Amino acid sequence: MRVEYINPFVESAFSIIKEVLQTDVSRDELYLKKSTQPVLGVAAIVGLAGDVEGRVLIDMSQETAIKVASTMNGEELTSMDELVKATITELANMVTAQAVTKLHELGFKFDLTPPAIITGENMQVSDINVEALIVPLGLPHGKIEINVAIRERLGA
Amino acid sequence: MKTTSDFPSINERVPEGLSTEGRPLRVLIVDDSMFVTKQISQILSSEGFDIVGTAGDGAEGVEKYKELYPDVDLVTMDITMPRMDGVTALEKIIEFDKEANVVMVSALGKQDLVKKSLMLGAKNYIVKPLDRKKVLERVISAIK
Repeated sequence: MRVEYINPFVESAFSIIKEVLQTDVSRDELYLKKSTQPVLGVAAIVGLAGDVEGRVLIDMSQETAIKVASTMNGEELTSMDELVKATITELANMVTAQAVTKLHELGFKFDLTPPAIITGENMQVSDINVEALIVPLGLPHGKIEINVAIRERLGA
Repeated sequence: MKTTSDFPSINERVPEGLSTEGRPLRVLIVDDSMFVTKQISQILSSEGFDIVGTAGDGAEGVEKYKELYPDVDLVTMDITMPRMDGVTALEKIIEFDKEANVVMVSALGKQDLVKKSLMLGAKNYIVKPLDRKKVLERVISAIK
């Protein structure tokens, strides 16, 4: 996978998380995963289809999701309720919208699906025909992984 | 030349954020969360409301209301905030201006505080998560 696809997502996630949580964010080493990998517990997934196709996961533990949603709302939230899910969805929306604007400016044309939130324990994601690039972001609330598996459309 | 009569309008609907005289309604947003402030401000601006001020806690909210008064039509008031909570701030605003239009914003599970606010004179309330329809409905019913 070309690294130019993941950069806009990482840059957007970095700046938006920093802005909405008003905290320092550190960016850890990018790594590549083939086939199956574990999911942390709460994953917002957005699909892409067009010149490029694939999916983006914004992945974190439940504990981190609750802490992030608490900070974003200025409320002390304690469980994985509707507000936490709506807030993480909105975070995913903000990140992908900004990233997609950048990719469109680079000339890639594609559509997005609305974010879906997947929660549970011991989950895995498998991308059979495309490798995933993962960039972990470190913040006081815990770790958020930006996990991107995108390829150019076959036959395009 | 009156352009309004020369061109057909494709959207006859008047934005909800205008008073009966067609003036934008002026809103003060009191919330300690920048994210929620942005959400409310985007929803209301898109309907023609004018965001005339924001405050990050109850005490600042009361101060800003007094500064803006009488040029403010509506306040959205978060309940959980540092320094001074929204219910106390509501009380102080109503003390200052008993005609004030205040809409409370709350997370789920704060029924008692919402009830208390309504008894104290809040015009309506919104339970988070916020969405466009819910925010507009509650805000408009509070002022009209």
